[in-house]
Amino acid sequence: MNGSFEAAIVGLGLHTAHHPALDSFLKDEPSAEPALPSGSALDKRTRRRASTLTRAMADAYAEALSAAQLDPETVATVFGSALGEASTMLSLLDQMFRTHEPVSPMRFVTSVHNTASGLVSISGKNRGFTTSIGADFDTPAMSILEALGVIHAHRTPAIICCAEEGAPEDLVPEEYHWALLAGAVALVHPEDAPASALRLRLAPMDEAIDPASLLEPAKVSAALAKSPVVGILDLIVRAAEGREGLVRLDRGKGRGFVAELRRGA
Amino acid sequence: MSYLSKRVTAFSVANGLGRSRAEVEEALFKGETGLVPPPIALPFTTFIGAIPGELPELPPEIRGYHTRTSQIASLLVSGIEAELKRARERYAPHRIAVLLGTSTAGAEATESAYQHYIAEGALPEGYDVFRHHTYGAVLHVVRELSGANGPSFMVSTACTSSAKPLATASRLIDAGVIDAALVGGIDTLCQMTLMGFHSLDALSPEWAKPFSSERRGLNIGEGGALMLIERSGDALALLEGVGESSDAYHISAPHPEGLGAKLAMERALALAGVEPAEVDHINAHGTGTQLNDKAESRAIVELFGRDVPVISTKGYTGHTLGAAGATEAIFSIMTLLRGEIPPSLFASPLDPAVEARIVLENERSAPKRVLSNSFAFGGNNISVCLRSV
Repeated sequence: MNGSFEAAIVGLGLHTAHHPALDSFLKDEPSAEPALPSGSALDKRTRRRASTLTRAMADAYAEALSAAQLDPETVATVFGSALGEASTMLSLLDQMFRTHEPVSPMRFVTSVHNTASGLVSISGKNRGFTTSIGADFDTPAMSILEALGVIHAHRTPAIICCAEEGAPEDLVPEEYHWALLAGAVALVHPEDAPASALRLRLAPMDEAIDPASLLEPAKVSAALAKSPVVGILDLIVRAAEGREGLVRLDRGKGRGFVAELRRGA
Repeated sequence: MSYLSKRVTAFSVANGLGRSRAEVEEALFKGETGLVPPPIALPFTTFIGAIPGELPELPPEIRGYHTRTSQIASLLVSGIEAELKRARERYAPHRIAVLLGTSTAGAEATESAYQHYIAEGALPEGYDVFRHHTYGAVLHVVRELSGANGPSFMVSTACTSSAKPLATASRLIDAGVIDAALVGGIDTLCQMTLMGFHSLDALSPEWAKPFSSERRGLNIGEGGALMLIERSGDALALLEGVGESSDAYHISAPHPEGLGAKLAMERALALAGVEPAEVDHINAHGTGTQLNDKAESRAIVELFGRDVPVISTKGYTGHTLGAAGATEAIFSIMTLLRGEIPPSLFASPLDPAVEARIVLENERSAPKRVLSNSFAFGGNNISVCLRSV
């Protein structure tokens, strides 16, 4: 892809079931008990409506926002997820077909894929750009692509947040039973970043690359490794380490997009 | 900054009005509704829009992806096959993106599979969440059928889902990442959607009557729409600008003063580099709910005054949700191509609180520039500015 179509990484955020923030993951200090996401970017009223997925997205987003010191009222946001609010959808189907209850209007409105996008924008009083996308195992790569487009068209900072709740076991075969994961990356136009900030560029796998520059994936549990968005975790870990090189964004299960990390001039 | 205009070089559309561009256009300009009583028993009365007739089977190599959503995708791709062939000869496959939108994706297939799961304790044989439910399934089908092999993803922002890819395509063409994009959206009918909107007391028991004093809510419609957007080429219309905004107000209710709607329209105009007076027509979101129509009318009047002709096409197709943005952008292009604005069906008698000028009869006013609005849950808003060639 266009070589100048890149951004600088200025903040990172992470939430997993045993790592409520990036630091605990990098230090390999998992909590003994699963840590439920708090939904820290959401106001109290909004938080009550939020699913585990939305809260995890809000936590990862808040950590990246804080690290980057961006303005929640203006930052653009791209929320990516393969299955989105699938558990909320299944709870609606249970109401309809198993318990034969009336459908909950609140559950219905928060079953849409852009629930996190909407609730974060409401809590942040943000009237700017937000979107919500999905592309199965290419979700991290395509979220980066969408963010790069917005950053270059509007010269605005953007936060991408990719997340998947624990796989809905009624719907997904056992080999795909993944664990909760939300990761966020704050990006700005390269000219608006400190010279030392890592640059991020997206490249398709068929672009001529040196295999030796492929960075190894992060060490994660088997359940996290199965997540359709584990590529965002691989990117976050290598970026946090300040590594240069290429990160596969799909662990071989998508269309082969990679992220190139390099130091600024 | 402003976009360079992109070229809409082909489109196809299917919904309750018909299965092809020609059928849909004929019904739209004749003022015929495609809304009918639902074919299944529901515990309430409403009307729906559904694509008439049988949908095409998928070719053998992708038959494992069979869902109604994928069948609609197949119908839409076949509707622009000649233009796609030309695009494939002109651009490398990886320079043609597939950027779609949906709110339901494979929910219709999963709803059926889940009923089987409840009854039998297992999902039906052959059901595969990655072939029948997720966004990637439809994207794969469209890539296979179209030969486009560039970046591809699904936008899912409820009722703005299929309009937002128009903005993405513009940005990626401007950035030199792609040369062309297949842009559009598909939504199928499912019980969950109907029951959900019923739970919100938002469904009309009769035809949807946007902007009418007798409006009682919306109807849900099935539909799909697909456009080929190119950097250059013989255009049917020009995509001048796409404005996006958030209400930052409520998860399901629009801002009462139409603040986010107005912002989206202002941003579309700014990107197009035009003044409000240069807009000749607006295809409103116009759902037929009390709150939406009042707020949208207010935003339109504040920005454009009371003279610009406004319609809602939800009385023709119902609200096609994730397909609405692309569908109504195509209706706007039809308006530009014909020089004629269809009536806002069922709008009479007009609500006196609606101050915008709602079109009640066909108008041959030869509009040159149209805005098409879509608003969604989450307070997500978009306005698409299109111009005749």
